[in-house]
Amino acid sequence: MKVNRSDKPNFVTDEERREFLKLGLKITGVLAGGSILSLVPLPEDEANALVELEGYEKTPYKPHYVMVIRQNHCVDCEKCKEACKKTNHVPDYGYRTTILEKMAEDDEGKKFSIFMPVLCNHCLNPPCVRVCPTKATTKDPKTGIVVMHYHKCIGCKTCMAACPYNARYFNEEKRAIDKCNFCWDTRLSKGEKLTACSAACPAHVRVFGDFSDKNSEVWKLVHQPDKAVWVLRPETGAKPCIFYMND
Amino acid sequence: MIEKGLKIFLCVMFLCCVLAVGAASGEDDEDYPQEPIIFTKPVKAVVFDHKLHVEENGLDCDSCHDDPFEMAAGTAEENKDFNMKALYEGKYCGQCHDGDSAFASNTRCTLCHIGVKGYNRMTGVKPKGHGHE
Ligand code: SF4
Ligand code: SF4
Repeated sequence: MKVNRSDKPNFVTDEERREFLKLGLKITGVLAGGSILSLVPLPEDEANALVELEGYEKTPYKPHYVMVIRQNHCVDCEKCKEACKKTNHVPDYGYRTTILEKMAEDDEGKKFSIFMPVLCNHCLNPPCVRVCPTKATTKDPKTGIVVMHYHKCIGCKTCMAACPYNARYFNEEKRAIDKCNFCWDTRLSKGEKLTACSAACPAHVRVFGDFSDKNSEVWKLVHQPDKAVWVLRPETGAKPCIFYMND
Repeated sequence: MIEKGLKIFLCVMFLCCVLAVGAASGEDDEDYPQEPIIFTKPVKAVVFDHKLHVEENGLDCDSCHDDPFEMAAGTAEENKDFNMKALYEGKYCGQCHDGDSAFASNTRCTLCHIGVKGYNRMTGVKPKGHGHE
């Protein structure tokens, strides 16, 4: 696999930066390392396509929960994954969040890993919600969290197939599909401000917060004129709400 | 039986070679662990390679022993302050990895941090779970 420019901390060229400015820079939306997700590798040129991200600023959600991943700080300690498993009773055969890896080479030819945390993207146009025949998965009208209603799930796995991000697994114990819900039932609804993974990360990789609040860290991180932000597989039109950057 | 003899012979030959190299260099202080050291605390996992630091970067034992690191592997790991903050303050690896002598501790994280995946690769552990298929 060839490494695309997003793997280099300073991969935004001046030319690209000008392009962003032309786009109005609502979000410094770029491209995406979609090729990392194992199911359908993107062609190289598509993976490097610049994409304008519109519609993230004017959503009905308040708070609008999103996560910004400061990718180059991730060291794959997997404390996030451990915390998630414990908090949300995730079995060994599945995951709500995990870390992907790809190898790269630095300027001196030394090999190093790029670790990439992935989880449900809580998409603005979630394909999983669209395809579920029983409305067992819905997008919460208040927070934008894509939630599961386990008792309605018939285990047909249509949503699993529809998700471009491999974010869902079948939970044998629940006899239903399970996935990340930003710890809504286990933490947020009880007054906690952070998801379990975000709270557990020692490197402040998983910045969690309210995108409808312009003073939030997530909003500020994404709106730095000189920093590139990307999402995974923008071309699916799902409008994922997990943003990535090298910060 | 023949095979066993051959094995012993090869072992002896190997030992002779090692001793010969040792004698040629003439110094005990060229003796350092050939395998990388893997730290697992406070996070899994960080790799330190003596070979790289000695052979490529020309350090000798005195450069790091007994300050900042005691000879016995794992000693630093037991300290409460064996973490990134201490490194930024110039302790442990941070004594050199300060952006002057060597790349700064707050850059190029995954050159040393090999993660759980790197740890499993080096120790031959198979990861749990089988993804979402
Ligand atoms: S806890 Fe943070 S640094 Fe560790 S694997 Fe998870 S995201 Fe990466
Ligand atoms: S990432 Fe997958 S599971 Fe999550 S909202 Fe998008 S389509 Fe649905």
